[in-house]
Amino acid sequence: MRSRVEDREFDVDVEGSGAGGGPVAKELAPLSREGVRIAVLEWGPRLRDVDYTGRELEMAERLYRDGGGFFTRDRTVTLAMGRAYGGSTVVYTGTSLPIQGRTVARWAVPGLDHRDLGERSEKYLRENGAHLLEEGELNENNRLFREGCRSLGYHAAQFPVNVRGCRGTSLCNLGCPNGAKQGTHRVQLPEAERQGVAVVTGCRVERIEEGACHVTVENPGFGLPSPWPPGRYRVRTRLIVVAAGAIESPALLARSRLPVRLPALGRYLTLHPALILVAQHDRPVVGSRGHPKSFICDAFAESHRFLLETCMYFPFVTARNLIGFGADHAAMMGAMDRLQMILALALDPALPENRVTVDRHGEPVVRYRLGDEVLDSLHQAMLASARIFFAAGARRVHAPAGARFFLVPADAARLEEAIPRRRVRPGRISITAAHLMGGCRMGEDPSDSVTDAWGQVHGLDWLYVADASLFPRAAEVNPYITVMALADRVAQQVRERLARA
Amino acid sequence: MSVLGPRGQAFLWALTLRLVPPAAGAPPEERARSLAVADGALGRRPPAVRRQVRLFLLALRWLPALGYLRPLDRLGGPAQDRVLAWFQDSPLTPLALGLWGVKGLVYMGWYGRPELGERIGFRPVLSGDEKSRGG
Repeated sequence: MRSRVEDREFDVDVEGSGAGGGPVAKELAPLSREGVRIAVLEWGPRLRDVDYTGRELEMAERLYRDGGGFFTRDRTVTLAMGRAYGGSTVVYTGTSLPIQGRTVARWAVPGLDHRDLGERSEKYLRENGAHLLEEGELNENNRLFREGCRSLGYHAAQFPVNVRGCRGTSLCNLGCPNGAKQGTHRVQLPEAERQGVAVVTGCRVERIEEGACHVTVENPGFGLPSPWPPGRYRVRTRLIVVAAGAIESPALLARSRLPVRLPALGRYLTLHPALILVAQHDRPVVGSRGHPKSFICDAFAESHRFLLETCMYFPFVTARNLIGFGADHAAMMGAMDRLQMILALALDPALPENRVTVDRHGEPVVRYRLGDEVLDSLHQAMLASARIFFAAGARRVHAPAGARFFLVPADAARLEEAIPRRRVRPGRISITAAHLMGGCRMGEDPSDSVTDAWGQVHGLDWLYVADASLFPRAAEVNPYITVMALADRVAQQVRERLARA
Repeated sequence: MSVLGPRGQAFLWALTLRLVPPAAGAPPEERARSLAVADGALGRRPPAVRRQVRLFLLALRWLPALGYLRPLDRLGGPAQDRVLAWFQDSPLTPLALGLWGVKGLVYMGWYGRPELGERIGFRPVLSGDEKSRGG
C-alpha cells in the first residue's frame, strides 16, 4: 500500500451503506444533478452474485465483522454486525415492522413523534416491497410456532418481509444467493449510484474532522475491487453523515476527538440480547427450506419484556448455542431436518453504563452488563418457548438453562423446575445480539444525548448521525425500518441545510 | 500457518472426540479438514485472542492434573466428561467462557464444514425450491 495520502473532494460524505446510509444516499442523490458531490464510504466489500455461496463460515467471514465473532468486553455476548455494500441489510431476514407508538412515547425525544416516523416507515415498506407471505409459502418451522402460540392463546403476528422473487433458500442470514431480499444493496444504493452518488467499498473511515474524513482503502480479496486504489486518503467534505451502526459510529466519533464535550457518547447501548432455543420433532420440519422468519409473538413484551420470533440457524451457530456436549448434543445436531427453532429477545433497558468506548488503537470496546432484569426476561422467554414447543408437538426440547440437555413432554407441567432461574447466568448460556442500538442517542439535553431529534451532533453543524445508534432506548421490535425512517429525517435535514447554504 | 501447532491440534482433536462423539469414526482426511477449519479460523482472529485460546487450552489440559495426576487427554472418557462439565458449569466465569470458546472452535471445525450438511439433515438448496417459492 502506498504511504502518500491522496486527496479527494466531495460535498457530503456518508459513512456506511446499511439501513441508515442507504436511504440517506438515495434521498440526497437528486442533488447530484445540481452539482452536489456525494460519496458513500463503506468498510465492507461489494459482493457479486457468484460470491453468495451459502456456505456458513465462508459467508460469515465475507459479510460480518470479525466473521460474526465480535464479543462484548466480558465475552458474555456475541455481537453480529453486517459489513458489506448494504451493511446489515444484506444479512438480516428482511422482517419489516414499524416501531410502535408506545415505544416512541418511551423514547420521549422532543421533536420526534410516532406519526412522522410511521409515515416515513410506510414509505420504506413500500419502497422495499415489504408484504406478507402467502399461506402456502410458510414453512413447517413457522407453522409450528403459530400453532403452538395459538393453542396457548399467545398472540403471534406475521412479519411483513421485503423479498421479491424469494426462492426459499432459508439462507437470508448469509446473504440471499438469489438477490430476493430488498436491502439497501438492491434498492437504495443502486438508485443513488444511478443518479451520480459515488459508493466506495473497502473504505474504512479512521477519523473525521471538520472539513475532512481520513480513510484507508483495502481490498479483501473477494467481491468487486474498491473503485479507489488501495491506500490512504483525505476526503475533503462540507458535511459528514455517520451511519456505521451502533458500535462503529460511537467508536468513530470517540477516536476522532471532536472539539465538543459529549458525555453521553457511546452510552445507553441496548442490544436485544437473544437466545436460540431448539426442539426436536419426530417428523420432518426442514427449516432449511422456505423463508426462515415469518412470525413474532409479542404477548410478553409489556409483562416480561421479551419477544419470541421464528428463526432458522446454520449448523455451526446452532451447535455453538446448544449448552452441553457429547452424545445428546450430537443427537440433536444430527437431526437438523427435524428441528424447530425460536429466537427469544430481551427488551433491555437503556443504561448509561452499557457503552461503547475505544481502545488505544481506536477499535471499539463494548462494555455491556447482563443485568438481572434482562436475565429474568430471558428466563421467562425460555419457559414460554418450551411451552410453545411442546404445544406444537415437540418430543424433546433444549433450553439453554435446562436442568437436563433434553426436556420431554412430561416436563411441561413443571417447567420452572426443569429450567431453573439460577442457571440463567452470563457465561453459562450463549447470548447473541444482532439488534444493536444507541450510543449516539437523540435528545434535547447534551448531557444525556449526542444528537438532536434530526441527527445533528450537538454543537457541530457539519456532523450528523443516521443509524441505529440514534435510538435513545431499545426499538422493542426488529429495528431496520425504524433506522430507515430516522435516516430519512436526517436526509431531509441535510437537504435543507444544503439549500440554505 | 498453524496457530495451534501439532500438539495443540492433537489436544483439540482429543476434545473433539469428547464433544462430538461421531467424530470417532472420522477418517484421517476428515480429521485433518476439521482441524484445518478450526485452526484457520483462529488464525484470522486478533493476536490477543489467539494467545488467550492457546493459554486456555494449556490450562484445560493441565488443570485436571491437580486432581487426577494426569492431563485431561490421558484420562478415561467419563473422567474427561466430568472435567469438561465442571468447566462448563464453573462459577468462575472466565473458565466457563473459556470452555465455551473452545467448544465453539471444535464445533466450527466439525459442523462448519459444508460437506457435513447432508449427514446431519441440513440441506439448503442454493438455487431455491419451487415448492417454497415466496414473495
